[in-house]
Amino acid sequence: MQYSHLFQTYLYKISLFSLSLLMFSACQEKTAEINLYTHRHYEVDKQLFAAFEEQTGIKVNVTNASADELIEKMEIEGDQSPADVLITVDAGRLVRAKEKELLQTMTSEYLSNTIPAHLRDDDNQWFGLTKRARVIAYSKERVHPDSLSTYEDLTSEKWKGKILIRQSNNIYNQSLLASIIAHHGEEGAKEWVTGMMENFARRPQGSDRDQVKAVMAGEGDLAIINTYYLGKLLKSSNPEEVAAGESVNIFFPNQEGRGAHVNISGAGVAKYSPNKENAIKFIEYLASKEVQKVFAQANYEYPVHPEVAASDLLVSWGEFKSDVLPLTKLGELNLNAVKTFNEAGWP
Amino acid sequence: MKQWLGKGSLQRFFRDMNRWSVLVLIIGSFIGLPIFIVAYQLLKGPGEEWEHITTFLLPHYVYHTFFLIVCCAIGTLLIGVGCAWLICRYEFPFRRVLDWMLILPLAIPSFITAYAYAGVFDNGGTWTLMMAKLGIEVQKIDVMNLSGLCWVLSISLFPYVYIGARAAFRQHAQQFREASHLLGATERKFFFTIALPLARPAIISGLLFVIMEVLNDYGAAKYYGINTFTTGIFNSWRDLEDLPSAFYLSAILVLLIFVLILLERWQRGSRSYATVAASDGGSKRILLSGGKAWFVCLLTVFPLLAGFVLPVAQLLYWVYYTFWDVLDVAFIQLIINSFFIAFLAALLTTILALFFVYFSKWTHLSGVRLFARTASLGYIIPGAVIGLGVLISARMLVQGTASLFDLRIGFLLYGSMLTLVYAYVVRFFAIAHQTIEASSAKIGSQFFESAILLGKKPILALKQIDFPLLKTGLLSAMTLLFIDIMKELPLTLVLKSPDVQTLAIKAYEYIENGDQIDKAALPSLLIIGAVSCFILISNRWLKT
Repeated sequence: MQYSHLFQTYLYKISLFSLSLLMFSACQEKTAEINLYTHRHYEVDKQLFAAFEEQTGIKVNVTNASADELIEKMEIEGDQSPADVLITVDAGRLVRAKEKELLQTMTSEYLSNTIPAHLRDDDNQWFGLTKRARVIAYSKERVHPDSLSTYEDLTSEKWKGKILIRQSNNIYNQSLLASIIAHHGEEGAKEWVTGMMENFARRPQGSDRDQVKAVMAGEGDLAIINTYYLGKLLKSSNPEEVAAGESVNIFFPNQEGRGAHVNISGAGVAKYSPNKENAIKFIEYLASKEVQKVFAQANYEYPVHPEVAASDLLVSWGEFKSDVLPLTKLGELNLNAVKTFNEAGWP
Repeated sequence: MKQWLGKGSLQRFFRDMNRWSVLVLIIGSFIGLPIFIVAYQLLKGPGEEWEHITTFLLPHYVYHTFFLIVCCAIGTLLIGVGCAWLICRYEFPFRRVLDWMLILPLAIPSFITAYAYAGVFDNGGTWTLMMAKLGIEVQKIDVMNLSGLCWVLSISLFPYVYIGARAAFRQHAQQFREASHLLGATERKFFFTIALPLARPAIISGLLFVIMEVLNDYGAAKYYGINTFTTGIFNSWRDLEDLPSAFYLSAILVLLIFVLILLERWQRGSRSYATVAASDGGSKRILLSGGKAWFVCLLTVFPLLAGFVLPVAQLLYWVYYTFWDVLDVAFIQLIINSFFIAFLAALLTTILALFFVYFSKWTHLSGVRLFARTASLGYIIPGAVIGLGVLISARMLVQGTASLFDLRIGFLLYGSMLTLVYAYVVRFFAIAHQTIEASSAKIGSQFFESAILLGKKPILALKQIDFPLLKTGLLSAMTLLFIDIMKELPLTLVLKSPDVQTLAIKAYEYIENGDQIDKAALPSLLIIGAVSCFILISNRWLKT
């Protein structure tokens, strides 16, 4: 009965309190700000945003979620959307946002001059900010780099039971397959998928990092991963991860041909952006030399700014030729890629 | 017939209709709306990718889902019934503590157990490291596969069976044991021919809970890379961008659950299991001694270790070196937010259920019971499906108000906390409804009726008479709701928006990003801590 007394008195108070909280959050004041919708979930981004605030006095309100959710949110919000900038971790989602007419054309001389044409939208609706290559990490102990050549070669007999790669619902795999569809057509892509599946060391599972760990554990010899994951393993505070990172080397495939598959993390200005000028300023900031350096140094991504060098670690992996397939293609072919994976039964 | 359908029935309808009926209808439709909307969506037919899904994906979904159901049923039965029997029949060291501690695995959402297990046994995991330190060569224990998932789900869900079996054994075993003993039955014979058949209804309904949770699971299956119906719903919605087909998959899933429920009803049949209420004769347990006692103790400790201690230990280990990376102002805000949402939803559900129970008592409208049933379907329908139903309802409302009244309220409603709270109300209404109905039945209606005869208005009578008597029931309903809401993942995942975060979502995001998997430990432990406390509290209530 004592409980119930407490329950009754506090009930009213708590409900009143929560109601006032709701009201309070509804009517906050406005200052110079931008509302950023981002899928990037890296620690270094927070520091960069704080630095931007300090430099310009423009407050960055970050909304963090997956690109799909962010796009859906923008769709529903329509012309009421507070979103100014959308950042995704792959080109495909930016293409989708463009198709849904959620972005607008940016006129920025700086961005158009700095960022290479294949890393941005034809109508300047989005710009790539960092590059990441999807490459082969091979066991230093068991594989000689001379035996590696192309993505297509991974399906050959000699790699039976050696290949580690994550599941097909992963966007990086989908983009890689989309690029293969673009180059070889659907039939060729299908052959590649079945060939890969025959060479799996185990059922696809886990993240890119887990693939490298599995190479160290000897479950397979080759891991298909994005470059920055290796950087993160090597710089990890966990000695086990460092050891895993050290057990492999990077190989950039298709150097004789079209180049290694590259995707971007990029940004666009929302169609109904209430703070358009600040939004462009913000994207220019992210493409500036200093910030590009940070992306390269702290997050092991390849900068898009041609004058900014990659981090020492990335440089140590060597220069590489990247596939210049327009990234728009990756977005257009994403659904085909998903279906090709499903049809072959890639988990 | 014509008469019944025509004027007569209408007349009867209006005769029986009072304001309580209207309120019941309003609350019921409010709760039932998303479910009706999902049903309505089915009329539109499946989407473009349906053929692709049925040809290439559905067979995997069916196979994996059935495999999981069968294996988890066997697993939870063995562990749950076994433990309940040992606890109820024998006296051995730590029995009293184990009695309630065996419920604790329920405090961990299964996706968190799954992820902790991977952390222990995967490459570079705690187990491998420990063995390497000790210099022991061991084969890698691979948990991230179908059988690993079965194990994880069984070990985290067996308490449902345990609770049911324990209650039944306590009630029946004592009365019949003496009789059967006198008649010369052995312990084994007594178990298989008397105790187990008598406990069957309780065990089976526990099992039904297990299966519904297995079907509801998204996080664990996704993380281990097993495609089930629920992951398929997400797949076709997100990856294939085909929402209508996602509804069709949902419909198959719900149909499957209906079949299971019918099976349960059928096995119970018309048999009645009523017995004379027996006191829990705790003193009459068989006293075990020496090695035997410790062996039984070990047997019952094992599920607790595997289902609770091991995952929690792994999480604590992770928290130890990620604590300061995770904890910041935003995270504290998230904690408050998460608890607030759970509290608000629990409160709202309880209030609605209270009114629903009483208003339907005061209405004379026939068919209200059936309506109540439909309204409380939410609990058997997987969270992902409810989530999609609410999503579509919100979308329709937003579009409707936009086109009819030119009201742009979408951004207020859609993806806001309100939508999520509403979805929780829909999903967990049945729990509150059942608990409150049971406690109100215990009170009976004599006080209330006397008050009415003496001229009180029903609402006042409810407030002054039944409400004070109901308080324990209401609080226990809220506790149960709070536990379920804190643990909920799939529904929250559908409706989560960038503006609304819960601890479960935060944990899931850390796990999914793969980048910072150990950081998920702190939000996970907070959920486990809170839920454990509430489980213990409600356990106390059940006893008194």
